[in-house]
Amino acid sequence: MNIDHHESFQHMIEESLAGVISAERKQSLREHLDTCAPCQEYLSASNRVIASLGGFSFEVDPTLNARVFVSLRLRGQQVQAAQPSRRRWVLISLAAVVLTLGGSFVDLQFGDLIASAFDIQRAQAQLGLLAFWIVPSLCVLLLFPLLPLLSKAGTRREERTI
Amino acid sequence: MESDTQQIALGLRQRDVVVLEALVEQYQYRLVRYLIYLLGRRDGVDDLVQETWLRVLERGSSYDGQSRFEPWLFRVARNIALDAMRKRPMFSLDSKDDNGVRPAPASDKPSPFTLAARTEDADRLARSLQTLEPVHREALVLRFQEDLSLQEISAIVGAPVSTVASRIYRGLATLRPQFEGETA
Ligand SMILES: [Zn+2]
Repeated sequence: MNIDHHESFQHMIEESLAGVISAERKQSLREHLDTCAPCQEYLSASNRVIASLGGFSFEVDPTLNARVFVSLRLRGQQVQAAQPSRRRWVLISLAAVVLTLGGSFVDLQFGDLIASAFDIQRAQAQLGLLAFWIVPSLCVLLLFPLLPLLSKAGTRREERTI
Repeated sequence: MESDTQQIALGLRQRDVVVLEALVEQYQYRLVRYLIYLLGRRDGVDDLVQETWLRVLERGSSYDGQSRFEPWLFRVARNIALDAMRKRPMFSLDSKDDNGVRPAPASDKPSPFTLAARTEDADRLARSLQTLEPVHREALVLRFQEDLSLQEISAIVGAPVSTVASRIYRGLATLRPQFEGETA
């Protein structure tokens, strides 16, 4: 048998060890190995390399895990502290709802009262309430829930590179 | 019922320290071994291990739980190691390979492989392993010690499957002469 012929089977041995050989090629390799001593030796030497890789045992500092745990807990607390809690977002959003509804209620029920107290027209009083109470509350209500989403999008961008 | 990987993904999303600590316990040795194979050195590896787990804590939500955890972990560790190579002189070694991973410089100290060899065959292999291209060494440990598929390795190293395969072939070709001409 010529050398090229062996080489092609030895490449099949490598493919087989790497786990990328087709069933058909594997069968033809098997048949060749039954009768070819050089290729058998090639396979045996390759297998011995692979088996030898299991003969290493690296020492791990017994304190390493404990050190990792400490830094994980520390960093975990830092990350937590840097992020406002979900509860806080909910409370602020609720407050904005109450303020917006409250402002609208005051506007409708007590518009005349306020106008006469400040000696202005009712439309002016309503405009004042709208500008300084209702619209700001509404802005907080609409924009605030978006903040976590925006910050999440930022985190996601960051996470693309792990 | 949720699979293990989905539970890991959930724990990482919630930054659950208990889940993280269990992962550290389970994967620490393999992480250390992977980094030693990648870098060809022992010193500095513990720092990289620490940084890897901190990044797992910070970016854990990018693990989706759809595939195995260890390829994702090794990819994180690899990025950390490559960053360290760029930043720190102790890891900035002579350029040789195409992938930013470079061989460790010659040193008088016994190699981590010589120190870790527990069998006669491993001892024979230790010297050649030390001089092997890091990416070839990396491909060998991932394929034959971690038992990862070529697709999984390809995702870790960011190279095509065909490149990973040829790294495995070349790694084996460099080490095989140690055992050729003998009947095992
Ligand atoms: Zn043959």
